[in-house]
Amino acid sequence: MIMNNLKAKDYISSLKPIWCPGCGDYGVLNAIAMAFEELSIPPEKIAVISGIGCSSRLPGYLNTYGFNSIHGRALPIACGLKIARDDLTVIAVGGDGDGFSIGGGHLSHAIRRNVDISYFIMDNQIYGLTKGQASPTTPFGDVTSTTSYGNIDTPIWPISFTLGYGATFVAQSTPLDIKHLATMMVEAIKHPGFAFVNIISPCVTYRGKEMYQYIRDRMYYIDKEEGYDPKDLQAAWRFANDRERIPLGVFYKKEADTYRDRIDRVKEKLGSKKMDIEMEKLAFVPDTGGLGEKDVFIPG
Amino acid sequence: MASDVKIGLVGSGGDGVVAAGDIIVHAMASCGLYAMMMKSFGPQIRGGESSARIRLSSEKVYSLGDGLDTLVVMNWGDYLKFAGELELNDNAILIVDEKDNTRPDDSLKLQKVASIVEVPITSLAESSKNPKGKNMVVLGILAGMFGLSEGALVSAIQKRFAHKGEGVVSTNVTSFNAGFKYAKSNIPPSHLSLQASHIGKRLVITGNEAIALGALAAGCRFYSGYPITPASEIMEWLGEKLPLYDGVMVQAEDEIAAICMTIGASYGGVRAMTATSGPGLSLMMESIGLASMAEIPCVIVDVQRGGPSTGIPTKSEQADLMQAVYGMHGDAPHAVIAVDDVETCFEVMADAFEIAERYQMPVIALSDQFIGHRTEVIVDPDLGKLKRGERFIPQSGDTTSYKRFEDRENGVSPMSVPGMKGFDYICSGIEHDEFGSPSSSHVVHEKMCAKRARKLEHLRANFKPIQVYGSSRPKVALITWGSNSGVVREAVERLVSLGIDAGVAVPRLIYPLQTSLFEDFLKKAELLLVVENSYSGQFFRYLKSYIGMPDKAYSMRSSGAKIFMVKEVVSEVLKVLK
Repeated sequence: MIMNNLKAKDYISSLKPIWCPGCGDYGVLNAIAMAFEELSIPPEKIAVISGIGCSSRLPGYLNTYGFNSIHGRALPIACGLKIARDDLTVIAVGGDGDGFSIGGGHLSHAIRRNVDISYFIMDNQIYGLTKGQASPTTPFGDVTSTTSYGNIDTPIWPISFTLGYGATFVAQSTPLDIKHLATMMVEAIKHPGFAFVNIISPCVTYRGKEMYQYIRDRMYYIDKEEGYDPKDLQAAWRFANDRERIPLGVFYKKEADTYRDRIDRVKEKLGSKKMDIEMEKLAFVPDTGGLGEKDVFIPG
Repeated sequence: MASDVKIGLVGSGGDGVVAAGDIIVHAMASCGLYAMMMKSFGPQIRGGESSARIRLSSEKVYSLGDGLDTLVVMNWGDYLKFAGELELNDNAILIVDEKDNTRPDDSLKLQKVASIVEVPITSLAESSKNPKGKNMVVLGILAGMFGLSEGALVSAIQKRFAHKGEGVVSTNVTSFNAGFKYAKSNIPPSHLSLQASHIGKRLVITGNEAIALGALAAGCRFYSGYPITPASEIMEWLGEKLPLYDGVMVQAEDEIAAICMTIGASYGGVRAMTATSGPGLSLMMESIGLASMAEIPCVIVDVQRGGPSTGIPTKSEQADLMQAVYGMHGDAPHAVIAVDDVETCFEVMADAFEIAERYQMPVIALSDQFIGHRTEVIVDPDLGKLKRGERFIPQSGDTTSYKRFEDRENGVSPMSVPGMKGFDYICSGIEHDEFGSPSSSHVVHEKMCAKRARKLEHLRANFKPIQVYGSSRPKVALITWGSNSGVVREAVERLVSLGIDAGVAVPRLIYPLQTSLFEDFLKKAELLLVVENSYSGQFFRYLKSYIGMPDKAYSMRSSGAKIFMVKEVVSEVLKVLK
């Protein structure tokens, strides 16, 4: 990594966020910048890709390349970019609705390809930008503007979801502990392969200020717990299944071939290089040798 | 003496009629002939009905012509499933397997057929110890009857089966010889004569392969797609070839991911493409709008099939036109271009990438099943000339004033690529100012809409002219597009030979429409006929919204699945002329 002596604040742009005062996403923004400082990545080598939602505005607040795309599609755009440009640090960011609802179909495929990108979900359990509708992580029974009589859908549990699909890096953190969050991000970016970090980010406007207290009362660090081993999938599942409290840390981490490794192996086998395009190798060129002009070949 | 020969073959999937057709085309190409072959399938995965229609000619042909001169029927049940698509000429010869005695009655238009030749196809295959070799027997019979070069056919059979080993090759050649010998001693020879001329380097290739090869030559190095009939061959071909040229093919989880990966790769500076058919294009629409708004070059090929919904996946139609032009929400500048036949696939892919890169916008290239699955013998294209059009990338230097979406005269702004120091910007689908910062101001929106729209004006004014065949300012004007171009072009040749002042205009650039060129073409027109395969006449209505038409303007249209014949277009013109 090239040292560039940039500080966290240098990665943050002058654009004023649209987020409400007290939004957890401010902390996420600061943590990302801290992670970039820690890793000394040149800003022009970073591309942060998002979909639509409050948290998807984040790329605009960074001094890096950014792409604020359409609802649910951060992952395929990020994957396409990374597959085409392996030299870049590519990070997808967004909310729980963007990632688990409208874009939920892409997550399993990014995981099974193990594309070397990081995916940070700011999970606030609500649709904030559209003003308070239930999201795929809204707790069962909660009243929102679209669940007048209480939410009757069982919420998605992001850690189980990604572990279940075989993600090679799964972590959880919260902006209530920015240092921990930045550390998780550093680990994720350093991880070769698809790295998922679920970030419990409070929405004070639609979940109330008490969401801070709710998180604070329940959060704990799994690396301090007995039996913690990020290489042990069974241990990871034990913490993932804790739905009473909020476990923070790296649940699981596994070395595996990235999508790029797999592509490179194929190319190596083929001897791929930038060759000239020769028709004979690409299409059927009939051999008309021996035929002259006006040869009659079908007898009348 | 005929200047062309039209041969049809129909049977069940296992009969190998398409393989036989392929062998005829490859063999005749090596004899210096031009050929066109249309494959048609039922919906079954294996073993359903399939047919091949081949036209052989010493000159380049633009359509499958009219009815068939010869039709090989492996069994009548399969023939009936294609009856509407396999019209016969007067005096056509039917070659049928004598084993199948379920011949339909006269109500099926078979009365005008000159002769039905019953041949023991099945038993010849069995006696040559190759029960699966009925198609080889048929090739031998055709060679014997019509004098198709025996050597060229045997050599094409050898090439086709070489990878299966010598045993398979010799078994198939034995079956071929059995048919050939039978024909020579039992069937009177037919007098067909074709002369090869202008021997030069040729290619035998399908439309989908030509699209893929054209894209590769145009510089495409990233492809992401999702399997769909009738476009999958593009993906399969690129999946095999791209890794050889330092490129990547990614099979996406759905069409939305396919177009988004394509956009992501292009944002990273790599020429990128996806291909699909109507249902996939519907899924891609929101993302194509993103590419328009965020000004990202990308190419989307739509090999149209019968629709709507699942429709008829294995057959052709031209009814995605309105979707391609108007499918996106908002005012989303993009280009739509169309291929006319297999040969134009190369140029059209070069055009597609040139427009996409130069104007930083999505380009939808429309093909259809009729072209995609059709094999043609074509003149070898100059692949070296297909990579055209550079992206406008800012030069290193002053970065403080860099405006990614700078409001310039032709609407094209400098587009940096991640990795360029100091030129970082936010690319977004949300409305933005010249720097890329989000804005919901009416003033900014109006200005940026105008900037993006100016690209279309520039493109319209600078793109190559529409193709006109026949008279350039005709009294009897025809307009068509895509796969009907060849049919109408030949119809116009016939009308001209009848002394009618006829001409046909064919746009390559469908959107934005080159309105003034059409108006010039129609200047002296007393009558206009618009020909298309869309039940509701999408192209007619589209043209009508942009150009003034003569009082006598007619729409000749039908749904897909059945392609117009040249004589149908000729008689429609003669009918409306009365």
